[in-house]
Amino acid sequence: MKTFNIWYISSFVISLIVIIPVITVFSSYFESTSDYFELLKNTFLFEYISNSLILLSGVLILTLVIGVSTAYIVSFYSFPLSNFFKWSLILGFAVPPYIYAYSLTAFFENYGTAYTILKNLFGESNYNLFIPKFDGMIGAILSISFSIYAYVYILTRASFYFQSDNLIELGKNLGFTKIQSLFKIIIPSARPAIVAGLSLVAMETLSDFGAVDFFSVNTLTTAIYNSWLSFDDLAFSNQLSFYLLIFIFSLFIIENFSRRKAKYHSPLQGGFKVKKKIKLSGFKSFLAFFICFIILFFSFIFPISQMLYWTFLYPKNFFDLNIQSLIVNTLLLVSLSSIILIFFSFISNYGNRVNKSKFLNFLTTISISGYALPGVILAVAYITFIAWFDNTIINYFEIQSIKKIFIGSILGLVLAYFVRFYSLSCNGIKSSYEKLNNTLDESAYLAGYSKFKTFTNIHIPYLKSSIFFVIILISLEVIRELPITLILRPFNFETFATTAYIYASQDLLEAAAVPSLFLVLIASLFILIISRYILKEDNE
Amino acid sequence: MIIIIICIENNNQLQDKINDSFNFKGEKMRLLSLIAIMFSLLFGPAFADGHGVVNVYSARHYDSDVQLYEKFTAKTGIKVNVVSGKSGAIEKRIIEEGGGTADLYITADAGRLGAFKAKGMLQNGLTSEAIKSAVPKNFRTSSWVGIAKRARIVYFAPERVSGAELAGLTYESLADPKWKGRLVIRKSNNIYNQSLVASLIKNNGKKATAEWAEGVVSNMARTPKGNDRAQIMAVAAGEADIAVANTYYLALMLSGKKGAEQQEAAKKVKPFFPNQDDRGTHMNISGAGLVKGAPNKANAIALVEFLLSKEAQEHIVNNTFEYPMIAGVSPHELVVNMGLDFKQDLKTKVVNYGKNQADAVAAMTGAGWK
Repeated sequence: MKTFNIWYISSFVISLIVIIPVITVFSSYFESTSDYFELLKNTFLFEYISNSLILLSGVLILTLVIGVSTAYIVSFYSFPLSNFFKWSLILGFAVPPYIYAYSLTAFFENYGTAYTILKNLFGESNYNLFIPKFDGMIGAILSISFSIYAYVYILTRASFYFQSDNLIELGKNLGFTKIQSLFKIIIPSARPAIVAGLSLVAMETLSDFGAVDFFSVNTLTTAIYNSWLSFDDLAFSNQLSFYLLIFIFSLFIIENFSRRKAKYHSPLQGGFKVKKKIKLSGFKSFLAFFICFIILFFSFIFPISQMLYWTFLYPKNFFDLNIQSLIVNTLLLVSLSSIILIFFSFISNYGNRVNKSKFLNFLTTISISGYALPGVILAVAYITFIAWFDNTIINYFEIQSIKKIFIGSILGLVLAYFVRFYSLSCNGIKSSYEKLNNTLDESAYLAGYSKFKTFTNIHIPYLKSSIFFVIILISLEVIRELPITLILRPFNFETFATTAYIYASQDLLEAAAVPSLFLVLIASLFILIISRYILKEDNE
Repeated sequence: MIIIIICIENNNQLQDKINDSFNFKGEKMRLLSLIAIMFSLLFGPAFADGHGVVNVYSARHYDSDVQLYEKFTAKTGIKVNVVSGKSGAIEKRIIEEGGGTADLYITADAGRLGAFKAKGMLQNGLTSEAIKSAVPKNFRTSSWVGIAKRARIVYFAPERVSGAELAGLTYESLADPKWKGRLVIRKSNNIYNQSLVASLIKNNGKKATAEWAEGVVSNMARTPKGNDRAQIMAVAAGEADIAVANTYYLALMLSGKKGAEQQEAAKKVKPFFPNQDDRGTHMNISGAGLVKGAPNKANAIALVEFLLSKEAQEHIVNNTFEYPMIAGVSPHELVVNMGLDFKQDLKTKVVNYGKNQADAVAAMTGAGWK
């Protein structure tokens, strides 16, 4: 059995670890403990599903409009600051939906910042009744949309950018106006990219916990969490998870499918020439500038300003915060999870490469499903699994309990991150590994290199830049991550995200501003570092 | 990477491993030892020693609580380990850890403590003389005790609500049609509301309370949203005439900690303590429960006793604007100004909030209370 080697086993183990939470959610060893709510369940279920659908449609429409329009303007036209907008429009990513929600509430609530501004401008009066209240469902839609529209923007822009000039020429030859070309040629040919972006948006929306929890919008995700935690009703929780996962998996499939299609739009090597952007002037130029500015303003400048305003208004919160320990904790999590994720992604990818086994490939594909599971559900499933494992298997062999090692420890936290972000890291490495021609390995073997030496001396140096890219992506996800950290963290251990969340849940939004601000600034830094990769224009 | 190196330097055992790793010949071995080091790092904190500590799982997280724990450590040498979060998640973690880690569960509602006790997750032991003499009987059981009190009261806009209209107001009369379109209150999933309604069920029965909930829903000025402070501000802003919210929120706004505008807004509403002619105003607690299987039981009891000392109580009331649990400590001045001579409901034991919680949720959701 030549194929049954170390690579095989490790890939198998990795896939098993990642798939465990999904199995836990669906497993039937739970018993329904509260039938009290039986009667109410059907009404609840309807409410949760319809809320999830409303939220989803709202966010999809908004991100579609924002993402595609900004991508169109930035790709085809040149106007003042158009190059600046090209990369600054992805900064919205740095503001997680829950932090956006805090800013939105602080600004628009009764006697909030908007009231203060109006009062200072026009004097004393009751403006509260005229200030729109962006809370509840609308607040959740806005917060999520401005935070993640960049998925649509990035993918659509890439597709527009690589769209061959011929298509646009074609429009001109057919006598289309610019608007006609946009809707009849440009957008339809970018459709796979747009759909891929929208499916990512949809997955993030359905798994969002922080923002919907803050606005107390009951979606499937919060309902699973609540019925699991508050009512111990695992049967109902499983039922909800089932609906949600079906939703998410179909999106996952759509995304994968569209991505594959989107590739056809990249022109062949050499056949690509940089498009000339149309130079705008006068009112049109102003309009393009204005649209981009408004989006940048709402996605990034607005939440940052609100948090800065608070930090200046209540400087005590700034000095009270133990920033040093938060940075150390964040770096610790980021570095440990990056190392482990990269290490195992390599094992898996390399295993695939040297074995070329179909089954192994299949296992790798399954193991990326962790990303589809909302963080909050993953964390609870993780605890439940460890407890079950400890109570049955470990207990049977009468060894010391393992709960303390896996729950409330850095190890536990990093393991859960591993499950959640494995797909990100594995796919990131995979995409550049696939470009590395197999003949390279064969030449190395001929030159007398061992498999291990081929790996360390040839593969690693070649993949350096994509490793770097993946590390930054992981870091970005880890510092924004909230529910897993919140549920699994050890004693006396906080991150920027958990600190902000806990202040906010105690109605201390102004104190939540400082950790939020730090989180956003660090995330922005990471985004700037990788913006070159995200917006790459050399057609490699 | 820098962080890892710093951490390693702090650990002599690991230092040896590093030295070893460089003695090995061959890259494979070096890589393996690096992996070993990484894993020791991961496992390191999990085996941390537990002498002279108390592990607190807290659903309350004020910076002032941390200062309080520091005082306790200075006094007794017992280190307080804290993990905080929302009560549901904290409870789930305590349950799944299955004993042996958590000592004390601190949360801001008697209903939660009672429900947690009902799950068999708390143990008896908070029965020392110090605790019994400090805390009135209706605010404690042998497994959990109140640390501070709050009242859930009515706030009104004096411009739009007359004294005559308010006279004799009870929680029961919030269902009176005269308040149609004038009342704001939080969602039914809020634990403070659940405990209030649970106390109504204890006093008036399920059927009457279900009808009451329908009356309240039809009186609402808007679909429930926001926290307690948002309800008070809705009255100040003219969205509604009366609101139901806890006492400390108004004091918090009046203190100016929430900014000048909210301070102004708070002055536009007045507190009203309901049910003065019968059982008294609904009281609730922030409390601590002794977790089953607590590894540091004695330390946990010592911490509870400390929280009930005069020094700690003064610290709590001045930072959170709650009412003290023990006699001989005055609340914050702003709370004193709201009035202290009201009749508290000392008849309805807070233990009922947990017992009737499920019925309370059923009554509210059944009435269409969002």
